[in-house]
Parts: sequence; C-alpha cells; structure tokens
Amino acid sequence: MATKTESRTGLIDTDIHERVMYEELLPYLEQPWRRYITDCHWIQEKHMPYTQPAVAGVDRADARVPDGRPAGTDLGFMQEQLLNPNGHEAGILTGALDPSPSSMHGWYEMATALASAYNDWQIDNWLDRDERLYGSVQIAAQDPAGAVREIERVGTHPKMVQVLLPLDDILWGDPYYHPIFEAAEKHNLMIGMHHNEPPVHYGKWPRYFIEWHTLIPVAHMNQVTNLIFNGVFEKFPNLKVMMIEGGFTYVPFLMRKMDQQYKDLRHEVPWVTKKPSETVKEHFCFTTQPLEEMTKKEFLQVIDQMGSEDIVSFSTDYPHWDYDSPTEALPPGLDDTFVRKMLSETARKFYPKLPQKEG
Amino acid sequence: MKEFVCHEEDLQPGQMMHATFGKHDIVVCRASDGHYYAFLDRCIHQGAPLSKGKLCGAPQPTDEVGDYDFQQEGDILRCPWHGREFDVKNNGCMLADERMKLRNFKVEVENGEVAVTK
Repeated sequence: MATKTESRTGLIDTDIHERVMYEELLPYLEQPWRRYITDCHWIQEKHMPYTQPAVAGVDRADARVPDGRPAGTDLGFMQEQLLNPNGHEAGILTGALDPSPSSMHGWYEMATALASAYNDWQIDNWLDRDERLYGSVQIAAQDPAGAVREIERVGTHPKMVQVLLPLDDILWGDPYYHPIFEAAEKHNLMIGMHHNEPPVHYGKWPRYFIEWHTLIPVAHMNQVTNLIFNGVFEKFPNLKVMMIEGGFTYVPFLMRKMDQQYKDLRHEVPWVTKKPSETVKEHFCFTTQPLEEMTKKEFLQVIDQMGSEDIVSFSTDYPHWDYDSPTEALPPGLDDTFVRKMLSETARKFYPKLPQKEG
Repeated sequence: MKEFVCHEEDLQPGQMMHATFGKHDIVVCRASDGHYYAFLDRCIHQGAPLSKGKLCGAPQPTDEVGDYDFQQEGDILRCPWHGREFDVKNNGCMLADERMKLRNFKVEVENGEVAVTK
C-alpha cells in the first residue's frame, strides 16, 4: 500500500468545498434578486450560535488564499494545495454553505434564484476550468417545482453528478420530495446529503459546538432511517444517496437496529420489501470524513460489521478545519485493494457520470 | 548536530516561525516568558504544518461548568487544521491527552542567535 509520504494517485475525493463570494453571484442573478444584495445588502441569516472554534473558524488556517481571500475561493490555490499534491483524479464539489439556498427558511423565490445563480457560477468557474472537478446541483427544495426545473436545467451538464438536498424539518422519505427524486433519477444524478445547519438537537442547538459536531451523524441517521421506512427505494429503484461528512462508524449500529425493528414491526411498513441493511448496501454510500482515529483492527471491525467494503468512500472536506489528509487519515497497513476501493473505485461505481474505467 | 535557525529578535514573546534544521521542517516558538522552544513542524495527528497555526492561550481545566479562565497566552501551540492544543513549555504535550506530545528539539541562545541541537 502507499506509504504516508506518497500521494494518493487516482484519488476521487467526495467532499470538496468551493466557496462563492456574494458579489461573484451578481452577474448570474436577474433582477429583482440582484438588487436585494447590491442595494439592500442582503446576506443570509445563519442560525448557529457558535463559531466553529478551530484556529481559523470553519477553515484550515493554512487554506486562506495567500492574497487574503477566504479559503476555497480560488481554483489555482486549491489546485496547488489540494488537487495536485494529493493526486486527485476527481473531486466532487459540495459548496454553497453561504449563501445556502437549501437552508433558507423563507423567501423561497430568492432561494430558487440563488440556487440557479450558484449552479451557473459553479459551472463557469470550477467545472469548466478544471477537468478533475465535478459538481452538485444546488436546489431550493422549499419550492419543489422550482427545484425540479433547476434539476432539468443544469442536471444534464456532463459534470453535474448529484443533487444536494437540504436538511430541514421535512425528512427525505416524505412524498414531498418525490418529484425531486424522479428528476434526479431521470438525469442519472445521485442524491447527496451534506449537513449545513442540521437540527440535531430536537430541531434546535445544543449548548456547545462540540456537542453539535459530535452529533452530526444523528442527522444522517434520521435521513437514512426515514428514506428506508418510507419506501423511497421501492418507488425509485435507481436512486442512490451519498451521505457526506457524517462518517461511517454509526452505520453498523443503524443497520442492526433497523433490521431488528423490521423483524418486529414490518407490518407497520408493508411497502418495505427488503431487510433495511440490504437496502443500505444497495442504495447508500458513506464518506469517511471526519474519521475517528482507529487502528487497522478497529477500522476493519467496523467495515466487517457493515457487511460490505463497497459503501465507504474517501473524502477530505477541504478546506475545512476537520479536513482529513488522504495520506494520513486512514490507519496504516490496510489491504491495497480495499484502500483503492475507498480512495476511488467505490465513488466511481457510485457516480455513473464520473469517468468509468474501460472493461 | 547544531544549527542556528534565527536571530533572537526575529521573534517576540508569543510568536513563532517556521525554520529548517537539517532535513527537518521545524517550528520555533518564543513563549510568554521569552524562552525559545522548537518542535518538528508536523502535527502528530495528520501531519499539518504547525507553524501555520496559532501560538495562543487556552482555557484552564475547571470544576465549574461555564467557567472560562483563559491563561497561558503565548504558550499554547494550536494546530492549523483540527485545532489540537500543545503546551510548548511542557515538552509539547497535548492538553487533552498528555501522553501525546510533539517531537521537540533542544534550543539555546548564543550571542543573540537561536541555535537548535539534536
């Protein structure tokens, strides 16, 4: 296997955050939306009561662009710091944290306009400028019809590989989302779940950031459970979901718990036709970051309890503070074939619009 | 092995800088008391360049929930990535787990020059 000092040639990184500055969206916004930013100084209200208390807030302290711009705003610096030295074959962009159309709790028309502007900006400034970068369709699911129109508009772009859904108070198994799933399936797009401001604490916030950050997998577990028991995959058999930045060590517990519940309570959800753990293995993939520190033995125990080594995909979360290094984060001594799956082949198989290997 | 890595006045108390020592990248820290310390410029967690982090302080352990007593300004080296805290005056031990520590080097000041030895 690769040593710690070697780059991870051929890496497919399933979580990279590009960042837009509000003024960069202006050329992509029609009126009246543009004037709400230029004249009324609109910025999106955020609800998290804390800062991200790392050295430089949400970002790695060394990821700020040398000219002083925030981390994630400059393709050249991202290439220099991330894509080139780590041997990226591909990276999936998952930005749109601020503004984040999908987490606006009102003014859905503005959210829809922002999503379109963001997608056009993403294509022009990232997807079209580096062949390694692939995109996520941003939508404002608060307006499902508008979200479907946006998927129809940009989902056909050859480098758009998934639709990012918002995390909010309507869980994804609700039929509310069916038109969105239908549109995604039609365009060979996967669904990506990346938390932004997830309600992990009875819809509110725990007292300390460390609690919120610890409990992010709870928000992911909510969605996995809800999707499965609401029969989404029976209705959309080609739909797959990438669970981004929740890690994967919660998955064995959830699979076992859902299976046990299914044996007892199947009669409540007769539309669920498979053991939930089998559905997890067929329809979900989990990104690695933020990885807990584990020995090889501990790491393999988790994988063994998942019953599959084909549903975990490496992610860095660059440029955020809890970044995982492709050369340092995995425990040493893992089998080469398994490492290769995590670093690239599982993601390649998951996203049909990524370049596929011949044969 | 001994190398001069910077001038004494290159760092004020509470400042740090990257330097090289032989084939090593190191971070030279000048703590609040004016003394110099040097460590391998590589976090023991995932290899982040520590010199890109912060030399700052840290809230002290307390028995009272909600009590923030920020001390040791200039003595705590925080990693630029995951923010782990290392006490430069206590052999680079990590505050959350003292069994974990940075690799350190001996530092002497000779005639206004800071020298690192191994």
